[in-house]
Amino acid sequence: MTHHLTMLETLTSLAVAAGEGHAGGAGAMREAPQWVLAIALLPFAAFLLNGVCAALKVRNQFPAWLTIGTLATSFGLTLYLFLNYFTGADRAPMHVHGFEWIHFQWGATEAQTFISNFAFYIDGLTCLWILFVTGLATLIALYSSEYMNHDVGLGYCRFFAAFSLFVFSMLVLVMADNLLLMFLGWEGVGLCSYLLIGYFYKKPAAVAAAKKAFIINRIGDLGLLMAIFSAYGIFGTVEYSKIFAMVAANADGAGNLLSVNTWAGIVLPLLLTAGAFGKSAQLFFYVWLPDAMEGPTPVSALIHAATMVTAGVFLIARLYPVYTIDPALTILTLVAWCGAITAFWAATIEMAIFDIKRVMGYSTISQLGFMFAGLGLLSPTGAAFHTFTHAFFKATLFLGVGAVMHGFGGQLDLRRLSGVAWMRGFGLVGIAMLIGSINLSGVPFTAGFFSKDMILAQGFTTPSTMIGGAQIVAWILLITAGMTAYYTFRTFFRVYTGPKEFNPGDDAELLDLGRHPKGTNLEQWHKEHGHGHGHGHGHDHSHDHGHAHDHGAGSVADRRLQTRIDFDPTTEEFDPHPPGWAMKAAILACMLCSILAAGLYFMKTAGPGAEHGGWVGSMIHPSSAHFASPEFGKTATHMGQPHEPAAFFGQDAHKLMYYVSAGVGLIGILIAAFLHGPKGWQGLFIGNRVIAEKSRADGLINLFGPITKVARNKWYVDEIYDAIIVKPLHVLSHIFHLIDQYIVDGIVNLCGAIPRWIGKALRPTQSGEIHGYAIGMAGGVAVLLVLVFVLTS
Amino acid sequence: MNMTTLTTGFVPTLAQAGFPEVMSQVTLGHYLVVAAIMFVLGMIGFLTRRNLIIMFLCTELMFQAAGIALIAFGRYHLDFSGQTFVIFVLTVAAAEAAMALALIVLLYRRKESLNAEEWKDLQG
Amino acid sequence: MINPYLLFGLLVVGAVGVVMALPRRGTNPQVLGAAVAGLAGGLLMLFLGLKAGPDKIPNLFFYVFAAVGLGGALRVITHPRPVYAALYFIMTVLASAGLFLLLSAEFMAFALIIVYAGAILITYLFVIMLATQAPEEGQEDVLADYDTRANEPVAATVIGFVLLAALTVMLFRGTSALPAPAKANPDLLLADMPRKVDRLLETNGVMGPKDVIDRTDWNAGVVEFTTAAGAKMVLERSVGKGGTLSEVAADGTRKVVRENAWPEDLRVTNAELLGFNLLRDHPGTIEIAGVILLMAMLGAVVLSRKQVQIDEDAKKARVTQLAQADPSFDPGSESPIELVQQPASSLEEAAR
Repeated sequence: MTHHLTMLETLTSLAVAAGEGHAGGAGAMREAPQWVLAIALLPFAAFLLNGVCAALKVRNQFPAWLTIGTLATSFGLTLYLFLNYFTGADRAPMHVHGFEWIHFQWGATEAQTFISNFAFYIDGLTCLWILFVTGLATLIALYSSEYMNHDVGLGYCRFFAAFSLFVFSMLVLVMADNLLLMFLGWEGVGLCSYLLIGYFYKKPAAVAAAKKAFIINRIGDLGLLMAIFSAYGIFGTVEYSKIFAMVAANADGAGNLLSVNTWAGIVLPLLLTAGAFGKSAQLFFYVWLPDAMEGPTPVSALIHAATMVTAGVFLIARLYPVYTIDPALTILTLVAWCGAITAFWAATIEMAIFDIKRVMGYSTISQLGFMFAGLGLLSPTGAAFHTFTHAFFKATLFLGVGAVMHGFGGQLDLRRLSGVAWMRGFGLVGIAMLIGSINLSGVPFTAGFFSKDMILAQGFTTPSTMIGGAQIVAWILLITAGMTAYYTFRTFFRVYTGPKEFNPGDDAELLDLGRHPKGTNLEQWHKEHGHGHGHGHGHDHSHDHGHAHDHGAGSVADRRLQTRIDFDPTTEEFDPHPPGWAMKAAILACMLCSILAAGLYFMKTAGPGAEHGGWVGSMIHPSSAHFASPEFGKTATHMGQPHEPAAFFGQDAHKLMYYVSAGVGLIGILIAAFLHGPKGWQGLFIGNRVIAEKSRADGLINLFGPITKVARNKWYVDEIYDAIIVKPLHVLSHIFHLIDQYIVDGIVNLCGAIPRWIGKALRPTQSGEIHGYAIGMAGGVAVLLVLVFVLTS
Repeated sequence: MNMTTLTTGFVPTLAQAGFPEVMSQVTLGHYLVVAAIMFVLGMIGFLTRRNLIIMFLCTELMFQAAGIALIAFGRYHLDFSGQTFVIFVLTVAAAEAAMALALIVLLYRRKESLNAEEWKDLQG
Repeated sequence: MINPYLLFGLLVVGAVGVVMALPRRGTNPQVLGAAVAGLAGGLLMLFLGLKAGPDKIPNLFFYVFAAVGLGGALRVITHPRPVYAALYFIMTVLASAGLFLLLSAEFMAFALIIVYAGAILITYLFVIMLATQAPEEGQEDVLADYDTRANEPVAATVIGFVLLAALTVMLFRGTSALPAPAKANPDLLLADMPRKVDRLLETNGVMGPKDVIDRTDWNAGVVEFTTAAGAKMVLERSVGKGGTLSEVAADGTRKVVRENAWPEDLRVTNAELLGFNLLRDHPGTIEIAGVILLMAMLGAVVLSRKQVQIDEDAKKARVTQLAQADPSFDPGSESPIELVQQPASSLEEAAR
């Protein structure tokens, strides 16, 4: 009895402490104005209008401008929301009620209800996310308006409809006030990802990639769904604010102590982690993301680099309190380790492969690993900051890669391109790639440097008593950071610097775009052949757009297919076409954002938490990502930012880490320059590459032996999956096929065969002789009568 | 006029004017045996003869037997429905004869034969 | 009514007789077979009547008609020539009509003779003549193969007699269990026939033309009427004496005016009973019968008017037959065969 009383007292005091200490917990909520709903609903309206455009067979760029307009409006509203509500001292979460979505009630008590409203819960975390989601979506929509030009017509409408629907789903995902609405957005982004990866649906690889992405995401989604069920089972509600309040009070729906509940402390976060890893392509779920590069490049930039894949990070950050229910932080440790391993793993693959778009894909996986490691290492601020900076610089890199693909007929092999930055019209692309690359490499004073550094420093300072092996995780991340610098600049040095050299990609061989006989006057030739306009057209995988035929004969696509001639490099030349103004504007904007993001680290704002992580810290600090359970609060009074400077080789880890990570990044860049850099200043005088195809690194392949080959083949993970999952399923299906063929069909056939045999046996009686029938009939009657006689006598 | 002697005795009187007396079960049995024998003879004829016309004659024979049995039963039960049924049997027999004979003529014109086995390729 | 083993034995004997009597190639003991079968049938009838006693068996004419009818039936199924078979069938029909008479079904007896013997069988004869080739001049009339050879005689006979055995055994069992019929007074129907009563009474001089019937009671056999002069008269049927006509005085005393006054015809005849049964009890069935006959007529007309292509095999057989008969016949020059036979107009009569 006494024991219970003590527990209850502790509980109450802790709950009160939590309520006071963390505004994001059970604190007061602010009512948001109704127009906040429009942030999410405007893209949905754009989706519907694009559908209408498709129905009306609009054959111009209207859908693009419609989408850009609505997304820009949405971004404007977001900015307004941020400036009005998240710059002052009061950063309490906001709530806005849309409409009653799901409401079941099967009893009188509150426990016998299930409520899931279409309502938004907006705290700093959400605000951060919607800022870059709407902003980037607007820029990338602008980019796509030019990039998808080859498909004007139904395909264009389809693209922008899916694009708008994606933005809507993403916004619902991050703004939802309950798990179920979040799940709606979660599935919505999965669907749009599927639709957009499979945009070139006549291309088998794209369809396979879309399918793969969808199926692997389903595995994770199953975990998330079960997590939602569990959450409802434990807390009796799916609304964030109520769940956070219960975690703060350390009591579940029935009032039992939460911190000793294994289901709530271990299983629920584990299931959530499964969902997050599926969406964010972590660990063994990663295989879908590289293949997703089959989609149009803007899609890769927005969905598969900047926004959707960070949904997993968001999920964990949003439900961070749930992760801290377990005093041992088991699942957070798991997340940290998985993130680090994934980061390292993906980096090894990137160093070996030659496809520049896939390099970016693996890089995304690797950087997501950093973010998860940041979450696991108790630095949600670092994770959020890295997500934010990564969104911009990775989008910049993708858009730059997209411009290269666009210009060189889908060429993606870094051995076949060189000196692109020096080509006419590609200067901006080169600069953008440089900016993106230094961000990704962690060159000092870039945004990427600060965000990555935050995670690394946190790793070295987090005590091992809280996160087991935190230092090892940090070391892995540090090594990975060096590898990242190497592979980033490997791509940069090979593709953008050095002697101008290129081979057009497969698309150019199939299409006549940009091709002309050797030695012709280009101006003259374009005038004669009417190809001048071709510069404005992207053709990322565009050889496969037979689906665009519905917009009538005489379309660009048709003409291209009609004039399909084999490219012969001896007699013809390829004329790379630089990006147009829309693409340039988008690239420029993204580039500037990634530069400016660095300043956020130093920005001092009114809110709390700005002392660590600057502006991002002030956004994250009052949000759910920074709120912890009372049990956890006892051990880490100021989580994420220990006050005592932790030692790293006897120095203050945070300060030292600036120099260490900067040094590691620069070493990586220098190695890349040495191995891949061209002769002269572009290779910073240590490179010696003279042609696109060969570099010093080729000599190292023999040194590493089979490792290179294994890494280049993505560690054979797909093959392993094939062997342990697909093949057994095939065998099983064959077995079932045999069972079906011989047992099920056999029974059915037997049912058919028995009458056939009987019929065969009786067929001779059907001779057609009337006497035979008559004798049969009379005999039958006689036998019947005799039977009756015998039976009745 | 003595009704009893008309039906049961050996008095050789043909017509039985007036409403008949009750007939004994033995007498009924006699008539039924005659009908059964006639029916079976007709059936044997139908089964053994190959000539279509004779086969149809045999069916008429069976009709005849059925008529005798019906009338005998009607007489026993003093119910005239038996005779009414015979009228219908007669009707059906006439209709059947008309149709069957028209068919026989048709078949004969085709094969120039009345053999029923000629038509076994009809597989009927 | 008869010992089953005796019955079965007789049936076996009869079956042997029938098998012998059926037509076949080579030695054909038809007469012997018919005799054996007739013997068996006769013995059966004899044994059937022996135990019952003379007051229960049918009268002598039954045996005569049964013998004639069954003998005719046997000949119908055994005679190789269709014409004779048809004629024997007429004999059977006549014998059946006799049996009908014995069963007090006079109307049916004569209807049978008229319809069967008169109409249907004549149609049969027409068809037989139409469907049989007349022998060429100087050629002997040869029976067709299918007429001279019975098909599976033993099997058919065995089946037939097994059926007969079962039938007879069961009908013996059944008839002895039949309930005795209730005897109803058929004279009640006279109430529905007042004009017949008037006519009969007037023609027999019982009633004057101006006399009026006051009351009738056909159950008791009483007719009361008032004469034109005003006298009350009563006609009463009395058993054995044919009835009395009495005058009833005002005080109720009766004075017999005339003995044997009940007219012999003043009762319901079998034909009238049949008429009532047919038209009052089964009116719908008559309509159906009429429709059946109409349809049959239409069908016969349609069928017999149909133009038929002669079969290839039959044509070849005909050509070879003609070539054998006439050596100068050239099958190539001109085909003497009408490839399409015209419909026989007599068939339309058959339909009627």
